[in-house]
Amino acid sequence: MSEAELDPVIHGAARLRIMVTLASLRDGDDVSFTRLQDLIGLTPGNLITHLRKLEDAGYVTTEKNGSGVTARTAVALTHGGRAALEHYSVVLRDLLDSASPG
Amino acid sequence: MTEGAGARDGTSTGDPAAVGQAAGPPEAAAMKADQAVGIDPHEVAAIGPRDAAAIMREARERAGNELRARRPVLFVTWGLVLLLGYGAMWLSVRGQHPYYAPAWQALGLTFLLFLLAAVVTAQVVDRAASGIGGRSELQRGVFVLALLTGSAALLIEKSAMAQAGASRPILGVLGAAAPMLATGLVFVASAALTARLDWPRLTLGIWLLAVAAGGAWGGPVTMLAVCALAGGGGILLMAAIEPWLRHA
Repeated sequence: MSEAELDPVIHGAARLRIMVTLASLRDGDDVSFTRLQDLIGLTPGNLITHLRKLEDAGYVTTEKNGSGVTARTAVALTHGGRAALEHYSVVLRDLLDSASPG
Repeated sequence: MTEGAGARDGTSTGDPAAVGQAAGPPEAAAMKADQAVGIDPHEVAAIGPRDAAAIMREARERAGNELRARRPVLFVTWGLVLLLGYGAMWLSVRGQHPYYAPAWQALGLTFLLFLLAAVVTAQVVDRAASGIGGRSELQRGVFVLALLTGSAALLIEKSAMAQAGASRPILGVLGAAAPMLATGLVFVASAALTARLDWPRLTLGIWLLAVAAGGAWGGPVTMLAVCALAGGGGILLMAAIEPWLRHA
């Protein structure tokens, strides 16, 4: 098993943090873009870029509701995204186990 | 703090252990990545497995802390409300022979304490739930509705019983038990609706029902003392053991 088996879409500091944060939500929940930004600590531009990458992979959905001051962009993890993060965790654990002495 | 994914850490050797030791805390790696100019954030960050594991752990802990309402704060708040509110009412009725009703000062104090606790609760829940939508938002609404309508229904029942000629002691018992019964029932019913069985909520719900049912046998004066000590004390105790029960 090698690092190459880690999903490259997830295997980045910011995107990994986004995925784990979204996975902390209950099934069926979403989080607003601004709250997610607060939780992750990314600039809006960076967050949009990473979310687009994750959305292209089918791992997250973004949905804009309302308009003007009531506008809210909801971000949620898809079932595929949750499964991908679980697989990533398994591969990561195997890598760490194989790297640990003894 | 801003961060980005994309800068390859110069210390990376491809060895997971070496990267994990040299890169330092995951925050440092992320900040280095962010500071790099002209790096496409689409690029995969140079994080090793140990960094990734640390980032996951930190993100999970942070999300858990930020997205979960601080229950110990709520338990301490409501435990004190019950202890002081019911305690004040008990002090005002313990010399009454025959029983009439709690003094208006004690009722006023209890009402103010309930209002204060409601404000604290709203702030604690709002802090955690801000920006979170979907099923949880709906569940919170139904939970509050169940508590309010349950309590209101029991108090209306009390008025109806007064209208029908129920004695003051009976009304006293029902008035003291109503909030405990409504809260206990809602807690027990809602404990099973979470993704994992909510042991603290279930335990507290059963305890409040037991306090309401058991205290009633002592009559209206004893009922108030039981609600104050066992009800309020039980919630305060829950504040201490909630973290342990949550992981049970």
